[in-house]
Amino acid sequence: MTGVGTIVRKELEDHFSSYRFVILFALITMVSLITTYMVGISLRDELGGIAKPKFIFLMLFTSTGPLFSLVQFVAFFGPLIGLVLGFDSINRERSNGTLSKLASQPIYRDAIVNGKFLAGVVTIIIMMSSILLVVSGLGLALIGVVPGIEEVWRIFIYLIISVFYISFWLGISILFSIVFRSIATSALATLALWIFFSFFISMGASVVANTFVPINQTSRENPEAVMKHAKIQRAVSLISPMQLYNDSTSIIIDPTRKTTRSLILMGPIEQFSLKRFSRPLNLLQSITVVIPHIITLIAITFICFAISYIVFMKQEIRSI
Amino acid sequence: MGLNILFRKVFFIISLLLTVFICMSASSPGLAKEEEEEDQRLEREISIAFEYPEIIISKGDDITVDIHVKNKGKRDENIYFTISSIPSGWKAKIKTYSFSIMALNISGGDDKNVQFSAEPEKDTNPGSYEFKVDAKTADGQLSSSHTLKITMLEKKKEKGEIELTTSYPVLRGSNDAKFEFSLDVKNKTDKEDTFNLIADAPKNWRVNFKPSYEDKYISSLRLKDNESKSINVVVTPDRFSNAGEFIIPVAVSAGESKAEGNLKVIITGTYTIDAGTPTGLLSLETQQGKTGNISIYVKNNGSAMINGVEFLSIKPENWKVEFDPEKIDKLETGEIKQVEVNITPSQDALVGDYAVGLNVKSERASDDLEMRVTVNASAAWAWIGIGIIILVIIGLFGLFISLGRR
Repeated sequence: MTGVGTIVRKELEDHFSSYRFVILFALITMVSLITTYMVGISLRDELGGIAKPKFIFLMLFTSTGPLFSLVQFVAFFGPLIGLVLGFDSINRERSNGTLSKLASQPIYRDAIVNGKFLAGVVTIIIMMSSILLVVSGLGLALIGVVPGIEEVWRIFIYLIISVFYISFWLGISILFSIVFRSIATSALATLALWIFFSFFISMGASVVANTFVPINQTSRENPEAVMKHAKIQRAVSLISPMQLYNDSTSIIIDPTRKTTRSLILMGPIEQFSLKRFSRPLNLLQSITVVIPHIITLIAITFICFAISYIVFMKQEIRSI
Repeated sequence: MGLNILFRKVFFIISLLLTVFICMSASSPGLAKEEEEEDQRLEREISIAFEYPEIIISKGDDITVDIHVKNKGKRDENIYFTISSIPSGWKAKIKTYSFSIMALNISGGDDKNVQFSAEPEKDTNPGSYEFKVDAKTADGQLSSSHTLKITMLEKKKEKGEIELTTSYPVLRGSNDAKFEFSLDVKNKTDKEDTFNLIADAPKNWRVNFKPSYEDKYISSLRLKDNESKSINVVVTPDRFSNAGEFIIPVAVSAGESKAEGNLKVIITGTYTIDAGTPTGLLSLETQQGKTGNISIYVKNNGSAMINGVEFLSIKPENWKVEFDPEKIDKLETGEIKQVEVNITPSQDALVGDYAVGLNVKSERASDDLEMRVTVNASAAWAWIGIGIIILVIIGLFGLFISLGRR
């Protein structure tokens, strides 16, 4: 692994000094802070006079406030961080002609791609943890509730999942920067993929579900048809990493949520029976519920990196 | 013609009546003279006599008897009384309504009543007693006496003096019930009296008397002579008394007289069934579609045998709750039986806490248990997932080694 450390350090220097990163980071931090501030204010108003409910601190991340919650915001715009960090990492070197110079240095060839990816991951970790810490600090000041140990753990796991999620997009963008020689093409390709997974998957899912189980005036009354419709829609939308991320983080960060399904068929006695003890899930149970989502997210991140690794290693780089 | 005959008859009757009337008025002075001659013969004459010369009383009773005093002569007389013979153990006096008297003034031809009253001492034995009363005029020339005979009998007919009857002397029910007997008390004596109500209850039982249709407890009752009243006897048995027959003697007494009766309560036993878990823990953890097991016990806490205990459950739809055994035919008093409960959540139950109600039911008693069933997510996927991640990482390192160009 000789050389990886050097590459990582150099890359980090590049990242933190580049204007586009500073602008993006500033933008995201600002939006997060504004969101949290609004949520905190509305929480403080809503909870005034109420005996302490459980997991208030986590509500700082999940409650939507006037716009959207922090979790939703990261799910939507987090990928942009990854994309911006990676979309020109290899092909810029190539077009500047620095890649062959780099490869002639006494470092292994894979140290280049590993170092670039690792530097991106480190940047993401620093960024996400600083955002979460600032938001938590702001929350402490705003609502004055100290998080319990379980809440801290949930936030930590949320951080890990978020890092993997953004790293996935980093991997995608590095892959595209390896595959496409032109910077503009890779930028457009990554952007297109992001738009596709963020916007079109959910639309496409309902189109597919409507094709198989049409929901109209008559079948709306039939719970089984509605359930089947919801099932197909969910299965299709799970293709999107954003859906995976949304499902897993919403369970992790909100202990009262018990399933990732949005529609549940439930008899009246079952409903009553569940309401009898409406206890929030413990952390282990929450994790167990969404472990498939988390695992998939981690696995596709690794696979995505592995593909870019293979493609880069097999590529001819000295000739140019 | 007919009218003429009727007229003649009426005239005949009238004339006859006139003749009789004239004859009578002519002869009456002659009769009066004869009476005056008799009066002159008896210038002074007195007599006394008991109204009832022979009396039967029961022991302890005192008597009051009128004495007729007659002045048969023409002169007014002062009559002095002496009781010349008083048997030992008695006190006697002559009185009027309000005071004792020694003498009586009585005008000629008049008669008056005075009262003779006698009172036995407490230890006076039954037997025959004679009282003699002498009456004398003030100058001692005339006297009269009369004897009163009293036969004192042993008390016998006391029981008959109060009558105690009940229409429903036997009641049955469980030991947590209240029993209300209705008693009729009749005062057959000839005087108004207060009657005490007494009951002898088994230990820890409570017996109360109350008037019918009134909600207060009484311990005595006032009855006029020959009056009868209905009272209720409320019997509250011991909560823990066993099944069986219990006799509750009740008595009504006034002074020496007393009436007794027996009330009978048949306790048929209570039916109480209790269910619980040996540890008191009413929660259970299981997974979706997996059977969780818990043991519960069923105990007969009543005082009678319980037959046919069944088990029911209130559970979410698509869940399965099975009992082993499904039914208990007989449960003796105090007996404990263990029942295995198998709860299977539905395959797509949500993770979290569900309430499952268990109902232990027999014909006469039932008990409820509420279980908290925690459905956990299956951890199998977690291990599979971690396996996948490890495989991916191994693959990645494989790539590093094979493609690393070292």
